[in-house]
Amino acid sequence: MVSTRRTASRRSESISLKAQRRRRAYLLVAPAIILIALMMIYPIIQTIYFSFSKVQLPALRTTFVGFDNFMRILNNPETGPLVQRTLVWIAGSVALKMALGLIAALVFNAKVRGTVWMRVLVILPWAIPSVVGANLWRWIVQTDAGVLNQTLRSWGLESWALNWLGDPSTAMFTVIVAYSWGGFAFVMLLILARLQGLPEDINEAARVDGANWWQIFRYITLPSLSGVLAVALILEIVSGMNSFDTLMIMTGGGPANATRIWGIDIYKTGFTEFNLGGAAAQSVLMFAAVIVVFSIYGGVNSRIARRQGEPA
Amino acid sequence: MTAIPSIGRPKTAHDYAMRQMIGTVGKYALVYGLGLIFVLFSTLPLIWGISTALKVPSEVYAFPPSWIPTTLTFENFLLVVQNKNLLRAFLNTLIIASGTTFVALIVGVLGGYGFARYHFPGRNMLLWSVLFTKLFPRVVVIVPFFVTLRNLQMMNTYQGLILVYLMVTFPVAIWLLKGFFDKIPVEIEEAAVIDGCNLPQLLWYVILPMSRPAMIAVAMYSFILAWNEFLFALVFTNGLERRPLSIALAFFIDENGIRWGELMAASVVMSLPAIIVFSFAQKLLVRGLSDGAVKG
Repeated sequence: MVSTRRTASRRSESISLKAQRRRRAYLLVAPAIILIALMMIYPIIQTIYFSFSKVQLPALRTTFVGFDNFMRILNNPETGPLVQRTLVWIAGSVALKMALGLIAALVFNAKVRGTVWMRVLVILPWAIPSVVGANLWRWIVQTDAGVLNQTLRSWGLESWALNWLGDPSTAMFTVIVAYSWGGFAFVMLLILARLQGLPEDINEAARVDGANWWQIFRYITLPSLSGVLAVALILEIVSGMNSFDTLMIMTGGGPANATRIWGIDIYKTGFTEFNLGGAAAQSVLMFAAVIVVFSIYGGVNSRIARRQGEPA
Repeated sequence: MTAIPSIGRPKTAHDYAMRQMIGTVGKYALVYGLGLIFVLFSTLPLIWGISTALKVPSEVYAFPPSWIPTTLTFENFLLVVQNKNLLRAFLNTLIIASGTTFVALIVGVLGGYGFARYHFPGRNMLLWSVLFTKLFPRVVVIVPFFVTLRNLQMMNTYQGLILVYLMVTFPVAIWLLKGFFDKIPVEIEEAAVIDGCNLPQLLWYVILPMSRPAMIAVAMYSFILAWNEFLFALVFTNGLERRPLSIALAFFIDENGIRWGELMAASVVMSLPAIIVFSFAQKLLVRGLSDGAVKG
C-alpha cells in the first residue's frame, strides 16, 4: 500500500490524502454496493414485507395480514410431508455426493500412471449444464424406450424395469442419483485440491513405522481433510435445500408431489398458484434455515480453530 | 497390504521386495478398477446422449438398444439448426450471457481492486456481504425479484435478465479478481503513480494487462453460469421472444411428444461451450469456488 504518513509535519496533508483515498475506495466498490443493496438487502426487506401480506395479482396490491401466511403454512397438512421430503432429498444427495466425491478423490490422488485422463472424464458431468443433465437422465430412465429399462429387459431382468420417474416410490431415488451424478465431481475437486497440498513424507514415515493403508487414512489423511469436508458438507446442504433445476425438469415435483421439495414448493406456490404472500413466507423460513445452517457451521468452525490453537 | 507367509525363517530382502511388488500391483488394480467404475458412471450417460443424437429416428427407440449407431446421421443436428425457436433461444442466451459477463467484469475489476488495495470502514462487512450473495439461495429471492422486475417493466427483457443473472456472477468476479490483485506487487503501481498515472490510467494501462489470465477465467466462468442458468430464466421470461436455451430445452416438446434424438443433439450443442470452458479453467474455478468459503 502506498504509505501516506511519513513525517509529523505532513500530518495535515496526510489526513486529506487519507480522505481522498477513502473516497476513491468507495467509488471503486460503489457498483458492488449498489448490486448488494439491490439484490440482497432490498429483496430481503421486500420478502419479509410480503410474507405478512396478501398479494393480489395482477396489480400486486398488498394487504397486511399479520402472521396469516405463516399460520397457513403451520396448519397445512402438506407441510409435514414437504419438510420430510426435503430432508430425505438433502440427506440422500449430500450423502451420495460426499461418498462418491471422497472415494473418487482418494482414487485419483494415487500417483498411478493414466489417472489424469480418467479424472478429466469424471469431471465432465459437473461441466455440463444442469438442464442437459436432467434431460439426459429423463431419457435414460424413460419407461418404455429408456436405455436403463431396455438393458434390464435384454438381460432378462424384466421385473427390475420400473417406471422410475412416474412411480412415487422410485422418483425421489432416481432424481437423487441424477443430481449426484452431476454434482459429486465438485466435492471430488475440493478434496483433491486439499489432498495434493498434503506433505507426502508424513505418510512415508508412518508406512516405515508399520502403519497400514487404513491406519494412514484414518489417523493422518482424514483428520487433515476435516476442514475441506466441512466446507463441502455445508455447501452441499445449502445447495440441496434450494435445488431446483434437476427436480423441476425431471419430475416437476411429481408424481403426486413425491419430489416436491422446498425450493419447488416456493416456485409453485408463487408462480403456478399465484400465492406470492405464501411463497414469500416460505422464502423467509428458508432464509432463516440457511442462516441457522451457516451459524452452526461458523460456530463449529471457530471452535475447531480455537482447539487447534489458531486464531478463529 | 498382503503379507507373504514366511514360516520359520527370517525375512530376507527378497521377501520385502516381493511384498512391496504385490502391494504395488494391488494398488494399481484397486486404482484402475475403482477409477474405471467412476469413469463409466460419469461418461456412460453422456455417451448414450451423443449416440442418440447421431441416430436415425427409427433406431432411437430400437430394442435392444445399440450403443453405437448402425447408421450415423447428422439429421438431428440439422433439425436443430433449422429450428427457428431454438435458434432464437440460442441467440437470446448468447446476448444475455455476454451482457452478464461484460457487466460482471466491470463490477469485478472495480470492486476487486477497491477491496484489494484500500482499507476503508465497512470493508470486511462488504466483502462478507458479497460472499453471502454468492451463497444466498436463489429460490428465496424469486418473489421480490419478480415484483421488482415488473415494477421496472423489465420482465421479459434482456436488461432484466442480465440484472438478475448478475447476482450469480458478480460475487465470484469480485472474489476471484480481488485474490488476483492481492498478489500483484504494489511497487509496480507505485512506480506508475510516480510517473504521473492517475487511477483510471493505472487500472487501464497497468492492472488490466497484468490481469489477463484472471479476467479470462472470470469471463469464462460468468459466461457459463449465465449460459446454464435455469430458475431465473423460467420465472422472468414468458413466451418465445426472450426465452433462453435452457428453458427451450427444458420444455422441448410438441404435439408428437419429445423427439429425443433432436433433444439430445440440441443438448450436445448447448454443452459444448461449457465443456470447453471447464476443461480450460478447471483449476482456477475450483479455487475461486472454494476460496470464498474456506477463508475470509
